[in-house]
Amino acid sequence: MGTDITSRNNVKRFGNGSQTIMFAHGYGCDQNMWRFITPAFEENYDIILFDHVGSGDSDDEAYDFDKYSSLKGYADDVIEICEALNLDEVIFVGHSVSTMIGVLAVGERPDLFQQLIMIGPSPRYINDEDYYGGFEKEDIEGLVETLESNYLGWTRNITPVIAGKSNDEKFAEELKNSFCRMDPDIAKHFGKVTFLSDNCDDLSNVSIPSLVIQSEPDVIAPSRVGKYVQTEIPNCSFTKLDATGHCPHLTAPDETIKAIKTYLAKG
Amino acid sequence: MILNKENLKDLYQNAPCGYLLMKDDGSIVNANNTLLEWLGYEREEIVLEKTFQDLVGMGGKIYFETHLIPLLQMQKEISEINLELERKDSSKIPVLLNAKLVQDSPEDELIYRVALSDMTQRKLYEEELLLAQKEAEEKTKQLKQINEELERFAHSISHDLQAPLNTITSLISLYEEEGLSENEEKIKEFFSLVATNTDRMRMMIRDLLSYSKIDTKTKNLDPVSLKEVCQEALELLHADIQKHNATFDIGDLPTVMGERSQLVRLFQNLFSNAMKYRSEEDPVIEVYSEKGDDFYTIRVKDNGMGIDREDEEKVFEFMERLDTDKSIEGTGIGLSTCKRVVENHGGNITVCSEAGDGCTFSFTLPLVEQEENVRE
Repeated sequence: MGTDITSRNNVKRFGNGSQTIMFAHGYGCDQNMWRFITPAFEENYDIILFDHVGSGDSDDEAYDFDKYSSLKGYADDVIEICEALNLDEVIFVGHSVSTMIGVLAVGERPDLFQQLIMIGPSPRYINDEDYYGGFEKEDIEGLVETLESNYLGWTRNITPVIAGKSNDEKFAEELKNSFCRMDPDIAKHFGKVTFLSDNCDDLSNVSIPSLVIQSEPDVIAPSRVGKYVQTEIPNCSFTKLDATGHCPHLTAPDETIKAIKTYLAKG
Repeated sequence: MILNKENLKDLYQNAPCGYLLMKDDGSIVNANNTLLEWLGYEREEIVLEKTFQDLVGMGGKIYFETHLIPLLQMQKEISEINLELERKDSSKIPVLLNAKLVQDSPEDELIYRVALSDMTQRKLYEEELLLAQKEAEEKTKQLKQINEELERFAHSISHDLQAPLNTITSLISLYEEEGLSENEEKIKEFFSLVATNTDRMRMMIRDLLSYSKIDTKTKNLDPVSLKEVCQEALELLHADIQKHNATFDIGDLPTVMGERSQLVRLFQNLFSNAMKYRSEEDPVIEVYSEKGDDFYTIRVKDNGMGIDREDEEKVFEFMERLDTDKSIEGTGIGLSTCKRVVENHGGNITVCSEAGDGCTFSFTLPLVEQEENVRE
């Protein structure tokens, strides 16, 4: 069973420590986005990386449009990975949509997790009468159009040609082509599920200590939303970075590492 | 031409493509004249004032943060990203974006070169191609359906049309072998069988021809009064109505956009069916309509023998006859024709029935175009 789940989610495990830290990537990318972060944890932690089904080098065949029509499907996968690898007391670090996947997984199985670290969280992207998420529903349609023109227009029939090259070349090529590569239909579906989800009511179910790491400005998950998450989750800390943009672990890895380590050092 | 500083500056500023430099947070640190002209901004309105995200719609902003920047960070360069820039006057310009990290930019301040090509024409081609692809897929689907229908058609023809022919051939063989009997009753029976089977073949050929005439999408739609169409169908069925002592109650019916002859055929087949599959009671057929938001629903209700629930979809299949029908003459083409007529008019047809309790055939016909076009 373990093998099926680890290949389904392209699970990678490395590091020299005993404390498990699991990094979950956000929408649009895959586990490679943690490459500037993980070296800082390799010595003292047992690191788990994985790709959500439909992203990176996960098993696209396992993508079930019904299962993944809500973030619960992804949260169930996280729980299954923990069970398959006999993990507990896991520190879960999620970026973007994976912050809410983490919230759902922790709410469902608090016994598996010790800490929840959320980089750029948003429980709901769409504005409501008394809620600010930063987006209107039409904006998400705009994203879907952009995705369509970039996936359907150009890459629908393009698949990586890596046969006949040396192993190193193959690896480089594979990396280049797998990063941010998604089946167009899955990309659109995952995009809609990500940006149309509402997990506000799930925040209060987080019963373990947690941290929000916030960039400023972040157009995807504005600071106001990060503050809202901190307020709604009991026992939640908040660290504001000097970094800008939605991917501080890529644009400001040192500052992101420092924020995580400082929080974990406090115990 | 000597490449001096002036030439190079001209090449940069007036190149036939937009060009800008941006930091990894998207802030624009330089832009060439071509890009400024495209967007309708003055240099001082953009340079060090705006971010790249400010130049795209909200969908583009999300894409920038979730795809473009991560790709640039990971791969140091990206190519052929399809985006729409927003001009100062809010109009859009589709562009193809290529970007690359400036090699000697300092670690703490990554700068990317961004080249943008106007792809307005290419976008139109692309849209046309996608439209053509969609049309081709639709045609392929139609052709597949037609092929499947032709296969069923060929199978049915070989089976159903050959059956009466085989009977006639056998009768003739018998005549050749034994000669015509002197018994008048036998002779009558012989010719009656030939006539019955010839009629059956004629009926089948007539129905097939009628069905095949409705093989393309209805093109010339005119305002057609369904009330008048019903009357015309009743006139055509005059003899059958007399024979079955049938009563028709035609309620208020709308005028729709349609092809008159096809709609007459539709009602004629439904009425004929209602009489043919009658119960012991004299046939009573009601026709009435309901107006919905987008469609009229027309219902034809009879008090006939009805059909089993599980056969409700089967009755519309081409040359499909239910087991209970064998004693009644029919080709299994009439209701397929009805289905085809209704679908050609943009509606759909269903039947609701309980065995022994009559049938109600319901079909929809679009309302919108009719209201826009019909002048009564």
